[in-house]
Amino acid sequence: MKEGQVWETRPLEFWAKAKELRASWQASAGDEARVVGQGSTYSVDWAECFPALNVVEDNPGGSMIQAKDSPFARKCRLASEIRGWGREICGYTNNLWGSMFLGYEQDGRPFPLRQFVIPMGAECDQHTKRGQQCRDFSPVPQWMEDHCIYFGEDDPERDVPIIEHNDYCQLRQINDIERIFGQKFNDEKLSDMIKASEIIVEYARDIQVLIGTTKPAPLSAKDLYSVYTIGHLTKVDPQETVNFWKMVRDEVEWRAKNHIAALGTERFRWIEAHPPSWHFLKYYRYMEKYGAVCVGSQYLQQNCELLEYKPDGGIDRRAAPKYPADTPIKTREDAIRVMVGPDARTPRAWKSDEYIRRDSIVEFAKIMQADGALLPLWRSGVGCTLTRKEQAMRLRNELGLSVIYYEGSQPGDRTDLDELRFLDHLDTWMESLGFEKLED
Amino acid sequence: MITAGIDIGVEHIKVIILKDRQIAGRAKGSSGGADRGGMVEQAYQAALRDAGATRADVVKIAATGKGKHNAAIADVLISEQVAAAKAARFLYPGATCVVSAGADEIMAAVLGEKNRINEYTFNQKCAAGLGLFLESMARRLGMSLEDMSRLGAPKEAAVNEGCVVMAELDALSLLNHGVSREEVGGAVISAAAVRAASVIHDITKPAKDCVVLVGGLARNAAFVRALKAISGIEFLIPGEAEYAGALGAALPVAETA
Ligand code: SF4
Repeated sequence: MKEGQVWETRPLEFWAKAKELRASWQASAGDEARVVGQGSTYSVDWAECFPALNVVEDNPGGSMIQAKDSPFARKCRLASEIRGWGREICGYTNNLWGSMFLGYEQDGRPFPLRQFVIPMGAECDQHTKRGQQCRDFSPVPQWMEDHCIYFGEDDPERDVPIIEHNDYCQLRQINDIERIFGQKFNDEKLSDMIKASEIIVEYARDIQVLIGTTKPAPLSAKDLYSVYTIGHLTKVDPQETVNFWKMVRDEVEWRAKNHIAALGTERFRWIEAHPPSWHFLKYYRYMEKYGAVCVGSQYLQQNCELLEYKPDGGIDRRAAPKYPADTPIKTREDAIRVMVGPDARTPRAWKSDEYIRRDSIVEFAKIMQADGALLPLWRSGVGCTLTRKEQAMRLRNELGLSVIYYEGSQPGDRTDLDELRFLDHLDTWMESLGFEKLED
Repeated sequence: MITAGIDIGVEHIKVIILKDRQIAGRAKGSSGGADRGGMVEQAYQAALRDAGATRADVVKIAATGKGKHNAAIADVLISEQVAAAKAARFLYPGATCVVSAGADEIMAAVLGEKNRINEYTFNQKCAAGLGLFLESMARRLGMSLEDMSRLGAPKEAAVNEGCVVMAELDALSLLNHGVSREEVGGAVISAAAVRAASVIHDITKPAKDCVVLVGGLARNAAFVRALKAISGIEFLIPGEAEYAGALGAALPVAETA
């Protein structure tokens, strides 16, 4: 038994299945007969309904480059920089399109040129500009995936045209792609995917609630990060994905019931707000030396949508308008409407809406029973940094939480992250709260 | 019982020898370049001589400061914030906040019960190295640090307050345009004070009534004057300001040894 160990830990059983799903997705992504497009994260969920279409999503693309191969990522960013994309541009963007400028991918294979691009208009101008490098490079069609935002309280009247516009964007993209690339869209598959996605959200929510309400946490955010893309960013067979998330939920539930901990020495629970520095995930393990476990990130929350306390004290999805589960789907438009949903601000509101983002972290910290928060200050890419300082103030003032920052360029750009300084600050954080390392 | 605290900063190594929780000896040396281990040893020997003690007398050694990982002789490593907090409370038992302004980093910590830190803030990377910056600017302006310390507030000149590299370029530009070196020096000091004040202002629950200022910059009167003017805080500055890190490192080991 390790020093300070209080609870039993066990390896995760869903791990092997996760690896298998990822490998099969990766294999399908390499199919050269497919039309390759570029889409924005958390959108173009309908891409799999075309028989031969690959929509590569930009965020995992750019972050994977940094996570797997720093020297190559550096080369990509330089290739972007010399074409006028400055260092202040989001690292994901510069990594990904840098690879296009270079003409090859990490493994040396030719970069699959995109035949269309669908950037997302978000609060971060750089998400919005993601199509530009590609379009400038070769004149491919571009559609926008709009995510309009506004400030202040929910305004149902304002939501109506926003939702109409979102529905229209999706519908138009599908219709145009059918027409331009001569592929038949499978409407039946879309409605299956929508149903599957609803079920996955429920499982993901159960998992997040179980982590938050159980001490010790049965699963850490680090573990969840390893699987959260399955079914959302990585498009695999809908039923297989549902089965996988059920498997994860069941295992987490079992662990919670039997006090099987993610970290056997848990004595400090912390949260974060955004993706970690993908090339430097070491800090999770480093914190574990102090018995400190990361129980969640707002970023991971997108799988289960925003959570909130209910009047009866229970935890559930944030109240938001929702179509009833049995809403009939007869036409493509019906399907799109159900997919987009009747709420203009969720589920991505925590990310794209500064107003909600600032508030929602307080609720999230309470739900996760957090003792502290570690927030990033990214130097490039406003979307990743917006409201961090406000979030810290809210957490400190309203919950008395201990909050510290670390600085870097952007999760996919290691340039400004001083790894040793970062670890030093973690030591300071823990020591200042009176914790000593349990192991070294 | 004798314990030692070694603060290995980016510019200087400071050593304090405590005997029964009282300062018995001290020494200061350069942090050295490649041979930091050797410089630590030299400073440690000097402090032992000052305390009239031998190696064998010392029960435990604690190291702090940015270079603490280079102290092979240390039994314990203590973070800079914790060391500064311990020293502040030791020197002023009623201290509510400690601000440490050194060659590399500025930090502010609100002190809670049982010497715990309730909250702390520190400078962002672009404003790191303020102390070093003042030293290098003094050299550029042909002044000693003591001369810099006597400068008054600038009349008009201002340099970048966010980034020391840009501040240096601004200062050079001012000199190129014939602005006096005293005026430029004053602007440099004032920019450094703004950076330090922003770290203090970052604290969400400020405790401004009994604030201890430590670190090498606490000895720079012009900096202290500017910081006081911007922050509105009357700082308590101990005679041991520069040795606070070393003292704060030696204290907890004296408690547990
Ligand atoms: S900085 Fe963050 S929010 Fe902005 S484009 Fe990059 S990943 Fe998206």
